[in-house]
Amino acid sequence: MKRDFQVLGGRAPRVDAGDKVTGQALYAADLKRPGMLFGALAHSPVAHARIVGVNADRARSLPGVKAVLLGADVPQVRFGVSPARYDETVLALDRVRYAGDEVAAVAAVDPDTALAAAGLVEVEYEELPAVLDASAALLPGAPQIHDMYPGNICAEVHQEFGDVAQARAQAEVVRRDVFTSKMQSGAFLEPQCALAEFDHAGRLTLWSATQTPHYVQRTLAMVLGLPEHRVRVVMPRVGGGFGPKASASSMEIATCLLARATGKPVKTLFSREQVFLHGRGRHQFRHEMETGIRRDGTLVFLEHRAILDGGAFASFGIATVYYAGSLLAGPYRLPNMKYDGWRVVTNKPACGAQRGHGAVHARALFEQQLDLLAEEIGMDPFELRLKNVMQAGDVTCNELNMSSLGMRECLEAVRSDCGWDEKRRQGRRPGRGIGMACGFFVSGAGYPIYRSRTPHCTVRVRLDENGGGVQVLSGAAEIGQGSDTMLATITAEALGIPLDHVTVRSGDTDLALDLGAYSSRTTLMTGSAAKEAAESVLRQIQEALARATGEPAGDFSFVRGLLHLRGLPHCVEAIRAEFQKERRGYSGLPAEGPLTFREASRFAFLERGLITGAGQYRPPPLGGGFKGAAVGTSPAYGCSAQVAEVEVDLETGQVKVLRITGAHDCGQAVNRTQVEGQMHGSMSMGLGEALTEQVLFDARGRILNPNFSDYKIPTALDAPELRALIVDSHEPNGPFGAKEVGEGGIMPTIPAVLNAIRDATGAVIDELPATPERVLAAIRKLGRHGPAR
Amino acid sequence: MRLPMFEYAEAKSAAEACGMLADAGPDAALIAGGTDLLVRMKRGLERPARVVSIRRLRGGLPAVARDGARLALHPLATMAELAADPLLEHACGNVAAGARAVGSPLVRNLATLGGNLASARPCADTAPPLLSWDARVRLQSASGEHSVPLDDFFTGPGASALRRDELLTAVEIELPAGSSGSAFLKLGQRAALEIAIASAAVRLTLDRPGGTILAARVALGSVAPVPLRARAAEDLLLGRVPNEDLIREAGEAAAREARPIDDLRASAAYRREMVAVLVRRALTAALERAGGGR
Repeated sequence: MKRDFQVLGGRAPRVDAGDKVTGQALYAADLKRPGMLFGALAHSPVAHARIVGVNADRARSLPGVKAVLLGADVPQVRFGVSPARYDETVLALDRVRYAGDEVAAVAAVDPDTALAAAGLVEVEYEELPAVLDASAALLPGAPQIHDMYPGNICAEVHQEFGDVAQARAQAEVVRRDVFTSKMQSGAFLEPQCALAEFDHAGRLTLWSATQTPHYVQRTLAMVLGLPEHRVRVVMPRVGGGFGPKASASSMEIATCLLARATGKPVKTLFSREQVFLHGRGRHQFRHEMETGIRRDGTLVFLEHRAILDGGAFASFGIATVYYAGSLLAGPYRLPNMKYDGWRVVTNKPACGAQRGHGAVHARALFEQQLDLLAEEIGMDPFELRLKNVMQAGDVTCNELNMSSLGMRECLEAVRSDCGWDEKRRQGRRPGRGIGMACGFFVSGAGYPIYRSRTPHCTVRVRLDENGGGVQVLSGAAEIGQGSDTMLATITAEALGIPLDHVTVRSGDTDLALDLGAYSSRTTLMTGSAAKEAAESVLRQIQEALARATGEPAGDFSFVRGLLHLRGLPHCVEAIRAEFQKERRGYSGLPAEGPLTFREASRFAFLERGLITGAGQYRPPPLGGGFKGAAVGTSPAYGCSAQVAEVEVDLETGQVKVLRITGAHDCGQAVNRTQVEGQMHGSMSMGLGEALTEQVLFDARGRILNPNFSDYKIPTALDAPELRALIVDSHEPNGPFGAKEVGEGGIMPTIPAVLNAIRDATGAVIDELPATPERVLAAIRKLGRHGPAR
Repeated sequence: MRLPMFEYAEAKSAAEACGMLADAGPDAALIAGGTDLLVRMKRGLERPARVVSIRRLRGGLPAVARDGARLALHPLATMAELAADPLLEHACGNVAAGARAVGSPLVRNLATLGGNLASARPCADTAPPLLSWDARVRLQSASGEHSVPLDDFFTGPGASALRRDELLTAVEIELPAGSSGSAFLKLGQRAALEIAIASAAVRLTLDRPGGTILAARVALGSVAPVPLRARAAEDLLLGRVPNEDLIREAGEAAAREARPIDDLRASAAYRREMVAVLVRRALTAALERAGGGR
């Protein structure tokens, strides 16, 4: 299936690179509108309380304050992510559910006044007992956080594929392990920011640092009671998202309500502390897995129970609890799998989707178990995985279809690149370890968040009437992951023109429909729509040329922007002469040689009028008929293998990761440098989640470390050598064979690091992050009880 | 998390700074690099009405000056300067190492030695190394100047002998005779931008290479309300010919002297254990630098 590409698979600089590195690119916080006011929110200082009284008199009388909104002043429309679990309101009315819950919104002439006014809103709280962890939330008699979640259970999943009871009898080696983690933050660079403005016709525009303009548009329409076409959501440049920016927030809605109340544009910018309070990052997980294999390494069954501490609201939590189970069904042949998952509400900031969504910590335990099982039967960890890997065409026990899967190729690539066999042959050295793991991930959620048969995106490709220029109009969300460059590349490739002919406009609900940047969907889905739209444009140019020349349309194509003609180029002279006649006084016009795309596309416009191509993408029906079958379905799956090499200080428990070698199957790299960038990003993020990152709370549910001094993401000095190997498998459902690389790459990182720590120390790490103190405790435990073999 | 409003004044001399402090009363704060003060002001932990800058008081003075056995460190020297100062590296290597352990390159370019000491945090990275050299600090006010041993300077977390109207004008070390070696070790979760879980600075002075210990200093960071001298460990080492057992015992003695607490960075128990490891390792390194063979 290999074919020669002109632009695709290269290393062109990102289309937005220049603007971003010079500071020309505008982010939401940079935007200004005439007469703009500044918004601020007042947050609950307590984790759980009844609001007894609110007094905003002092706030309202502060000079410069233009509006103060309280719970009673805003629409009582519930919103959220999953329509079945709409449980949020813009501002708390009679009850706060976590320390950080929004109780008032203020607009004032400058940020300091707005913040000061927010601080002057007096709320009288009658504190209620708070529930601060999932196990306490599940106890009989625990305080109830939402009426709609009896027993504090926001969602539960009970699934069985195959027959686990029967399979257990056939398994020869079985392990049961428990693994826990802490809440983690996306730690994106740009705090959320929104600027809302109503025009004089009453149409609302919201500029927001979001990953999902479409869902924000729908939420605003629903809460503000406007038809969607009167709400426009625009993304300026966005500085990262990783999931927590993938849903509409109270802050965005409150900013619009403040704009409506004041008749002025209003901008609200989160502090880093508010980023932590708003949360929506990685859930806190407790996984319990029992995994059985045969002595020859064949995987027989997995019985899995998970409890997710989700914080105060549902957010993406239903999807999270499903993903935590469903994505263990691959990339190994696992015929029998039972999963019971509970997603629980607590009085903490809400958790949501974060890179790899619910699957990351589940994967972290499962891949550790596979290593431990391999060791028990005396098998190399690679061999155990190779024995069980799926291949293209396989379908998992929960009906996920591996339309392409270079899992074996990824395993082989990292094994040889890092010198695994040689390093393992050298045997264990205390304090030095090497470990590996795999993972796989969806390439776009098979279904939208709301029930609909809607296409997941539309794209228009429009030819500049003057000829030469091609504009891609898309709703896709460029959040730094490179989707604009991907769209330009796919469009250029489909048309046969250089990248510099293409400009991309995206992230604007006025331009096109797009579900947004989540579930690693944009390359496959929006890329497919762009390809379809570009091909339609090419056809229209071909038809214009065919009519003029009498040659079959299929004979015309472009190679690097030059018309490639089968047969004789009769009509070229006439087209060129007309083009030149229109441009008397111009210099540098094409004079000889093949007709250029610029000339041909101008000719096509003169012949046919405006040329636009439309594309859209809607996945085929996917998945089984069981409850929750939709979550985990995707038109394609990306997969990864990684090897981590570590050094552990056996006396302090400090872990230094020396090198991570990763291979990822992205189907076909659209831009190799960007694929490697995503892989490096996944590995770095995984490194932080493995070793240092945790949101910590005090006994009253307040965050202890809502800043980057104490919430520890790895620094440049902590970054190991990262090796990124690209495996191209060709995905039949993806544009030019392409599929995801955005999230899959994080799957193996944590377990590879933990497996390497175990190789170095013999100790099993059963709680994330693996801080020096935890690692040392695990080593000590070993001294008391002997190696966990 | 926005910087509140404040009045800003820049002093042109130490005397003027003292006068400004005396005039402004308890609502004034001194600023040099601002890496601690501005963060605390943004977080609302300090709300000075008036901020007096002393950043121009350095003049052309060097970061480190040596006059015979006397070493003077300028309080307005930045961590970056101290980290790279050859004189300091040669004479008191662990002080340079402490400076290198502060924050990140950006922070080190601004943060000053005086600020690191005057903020009086138990985790201040230059404090244990300076304690290990019996450093003294000079404090000046409108009414005069006096010198205080650094060991008497720290009185609690964020509290020191420095009065509100005083300026820290010099950090001085009297280099001991004999063969000295020092070391500073900091334990954290990541390689930079880290507040120590625990740190240890040691200095050993031998009568001659391979000889007996004339002076031993063991100072600890982040394991007590103040940067702490571990005197029992020092006494154990004094007058002895060091060996592996002695060094291990000294580490254990220091661990017993530590008074750590549980916080978000680590438990007290872990910190105490790490003191033994850090002190043992630091002593081993310092001994080698002092020319103590085994």
